[in-house]
Amino acid sequence: MPRYAMVIDLQRCVGCGSCSISCRNENNVSEGIYWSHKITETSGTFPNVRFHYIPTLCNHCTNPPCVRGCPTRAMHKLDNGITMHDPKKCIGCRYCMINCPYGVIYFNWKDGHSTWKSDNAVIPGVTGSPADEVRKVGGKGTPYYNPERNATLPDIRPKGVVEKCTFCDHRVIRGKLPRCVEACPADARVFGDLDDPNSHVNQLLGKFRPFRLKEAVGTEPAVYYIRDFSAAGYPRTKGGV
Amino acid sequence: MNKFYLWMGLISIGILLGLWTTFKVYTVGFTVYAKTDVLVWTLPLSAYIFFSLTSAGLAFVSSFPVVFGIQRYEVIEKRTVYLEIAVLMGSFVCLLLHLGAPLSVVYILFSPNPASPLWWLAVLYFVYFILLISAFWRIHTGKISKTLGTLIFIIAIFSSTTLGWLLGMTDARAALNASFFSFYFPLTGLASGMAALILFTMVYNKLSGQETTTEKRALFNEFSRLMGIIAGMVAVLFLWRTISGGISSTAVEYGAFKHMIGSIPYNIEFWLGLVIPTILMLLPKIRVTTSGKIVASFLLLVGMFAGRLEFVLSGVVRPLGQMAEGRPEIVGYMPTIYELFVVLFGFAVMLLIYSLGERFLKLEAAPE
Repeated sequence: MPRYAMVIDLQRCVGCGSCSISCRNENNVSEGIYWSHKITETSGTFPNVRFHYIPTLCNHCTNPPCVRGCPTRAMHKLDNGITMHDPKKCIGCRYCMINCPYGVIYFNWKDGHSTWKSDNAVIPGVTGSPADEVRKVGGKGTPYYNPERNATLPDIRPKGVVEKCTFCDHRVIRGKLPRCVEACPADARVFGDLDDPNSHVNQLLGKFRPFRLKEAVGTEPAVYYIRDFSAAGYPRTKGGV
Repeated sequence: MNKFYLWMGLISIGILLGLWTTFKVYTVGFTVYAKTDVLVWTLPLSAYIFFSLTSAGLAFVSSFPVVFGIQRYEVIEKRTVYLEIAVLMGSFVCLLLHLGAPLSVVYILFSPNPASPLWWLAVLYFVYFILLISAFWRIHTGKISKTLGTLIFIIAIFSSTTLGWLLGMTDARAALNASFFSFYFPLTGLASGMAALILFTMVYNKLSGQETTTEKRALFNEFSRLMGIIAGMVAVLFLWRTISGGISSTAVEYGAFKHMIGSIPYNIEFWLGLVIPTILMLLPKIRVTTSGKIVASFLLLVGMFAGRLEFVLSGVVRPLGQMAEGRPEIVGYMPTIYELFVVLFGFAVMLLIYSLGERFLKLEAAPE
């Protein structure tokens, strides 16, 4: 059984957000919920400033506090290392959200895609309503509805339960890559098996010095980051006093 | 008679508002609460913690005659156990309105996870409730069961300390501060349990106009002094929590708690809930008066209620990881009217059950 992991090359990542958009389409993710997201930071003082961009998703930790704390095993580990959730068993206590150090688990505070249910046209008589748009394309709840998501998880999750990235488990079991990996135009995301010494992820982890988010918490994330992008140069100097 | 029906009418308003809130929560969604992806635990959960720890505290009090053999406390045993049941029902109401999918709790049975403190809490509370009903029935029929009383005492210790474990497991939220709460919770639970018993008994005495026996007066004077001492002990621990986590710690994770130190719930907890009741109950002239006891116990309960909210917010107001994206370092919280109705619902259910017991089940009666 493989043990899946992802390597994100920060030098290749251009921060375009394709990962987040494709994830939303693939998994029918509602507005306000981000299975794929980012952490941005600005360092330095003007005019010496720098922008940092770190793409984020569920880390599918080897030692996941969300799984340990879930009273009904709704949050659980699959044999392939993916941290999965079962909305049927979720009691909506949100203890997993409290336990997750990365803030990647979301709660459905209301029915999914509620803005698409509106029958109010933006400009009456001129534009269609959100509900018209859904009907026009034959979607279910949202115009970008993907029925394939239903293979391992309810296509649209009900209100009152949590949800998060699943490494596109429904694609992975069919031998496909997670949608964010496939959609990345810069090939900044590399997916593979940690137990295969020749996998691309292992090649990259051996070649570069990887880091993971909040390693001190001891969760052993399966999402690794390598390299960092900076086009800046500077004249050779020893500083001064 | 009229006063009783007026009281029932007031309670009914609280229950109706609670039912309306329940309807809104399960039709509109949890957006009726002031919750965001950061503020995942707020007032309904803190109210649940307040009720459940008060119930555990009452269990400690009910163990005085049964477990520790202090027989003079037998005269208040029936009211104490019944109040435990009423308070526990209040906690269940708040918990149900906190859970997103309460019907799925059956999976606690069918898909158990013993590694989860939350699973243990659910099991403990289920057993606790059954034992409480059985113990009360025994007392109502005239006998105290030592076995049931001992089991209730043990479960109250486990439930209140497991609640500490529940928060202690969250390594990512240092401000919830693990091991500290495993002993802070039972102690504060005892304080609020004692306060609840004193408040309910004193108010009942005042309203019923019944003559209190000298023996019972002496018992409650002693009991009130004990409550003052416990409140003082809690105040000392509370200060140490402030010093270690809020002043001397340099860890950024404690930023949320440092923020809460200046908050309204924090100051209500410390000044109104701990300092004033301690002073009032350590002054003999005030301690022996019914009004003094009522004011001190009421303030202590108000303080404990605020304290539960303060500590829940300490854990959540600082966004973690990607949740911090586009958000301030500390997120503000103001409860919505529906969250207040949840609390009102909890109190209304508790008061309804207690008032019916007071009227029909002779809570004054001492077991054999």
